[in-house]
Amino acid sequence: MIITNTETIAGHEIVQVLGIVQGNTVRAKHAGRDIAAGLKNLVGGELRGYTELLTESRREAVERMMAQAQQLGANAVVNIRFTTSAVTAGAAEMYAYGTAVVAQPNVVAAQPID
Amino acid sequence: MDTIIQILIFLFLIGFCGLACGRTLEKRHYRDIEQRERRNKGKFLVTQLKSFPASQPGGKAPKVVMSEVVIGSDYLKTWFSQWRNLFGGEMKSFRTLQDRAKREALLRMSEQAQSEGYNALCNVRFSGADVGGNTSGRKNKLHFAAIIATATAYDANVS
Repeated sequence: MIITNTETIAGHEIVQVLGIVQGNTVRAKHAGRDIAAGLKNLVGGELRGYTELLTESRREAVERMMAQAQQLGANAVVNIRFTTSAVTAGAAEMYAYGTAVVAQPNVVAAQPID
Repeated sequence: MDTIIQILIFLFLIGFCGLACGRTLEKRHYRDIEQRERRNKGKFLVTQLKSFPASQPGGKAPKVVMSEVVIGSDYLKTWFSQWRNLFGGEMKSFRTLQDRAKREALLRMSEQAQSEGYNALCNVRFSGADVGGNTSGRKNKLHFAAIIATATAYDANVS
């Protein structure tokens, strides 16, 4: 399945628009990760626990969105967008949404010979 | 006695955690970022246009790439920012934090795209994320820059 965050797909033609598809998830890390992040906040540097949290939730949201698109019979999702919102301390919601379409590879038109 | 201990702890946090660790980590990170940015120069096309500039006909099908970066503040930065909050003005210590997070996110996307055989990115988008729940009334606020970045990787004619 082709997924892009642009409205078109290079080298492809959108032949049918099937509508919006979405997926979301709310995830949290265990308390130990939160404590580690608090300690890391003293010395600076990347808070890997939270980076991982974002990566996992994004993957899950996208997978749910793709499942929905597959159900509709789409082979591509275009113009996807992400938003996050805080639900409670240490947890984050990740929401992915896009437009499911049917796309076809462009047939490169034969050059007319003069 | 108690105040002396408190002062010692404060000095340790400012001196060791902030000055020694925080500064060193930031410098090392900046050096790493600049090195990787130089490596990509000229070979990799990055735009935030919604179309596919210089796209190659018959190339690989485009694909979305994503990256997430959460960079934490250190004690010294947080302390400076609290003073800055009192007097107002630019919070320089947090500006570099956000700058690092965004550049790192962009680099991670470029590297991911390159490892999958693409040579261009378009429609680069950055947005902030609230992972720590700082806006939902947490008491001990963590200070960090959390960035989620999205872009589309595709095949382009880069010469």
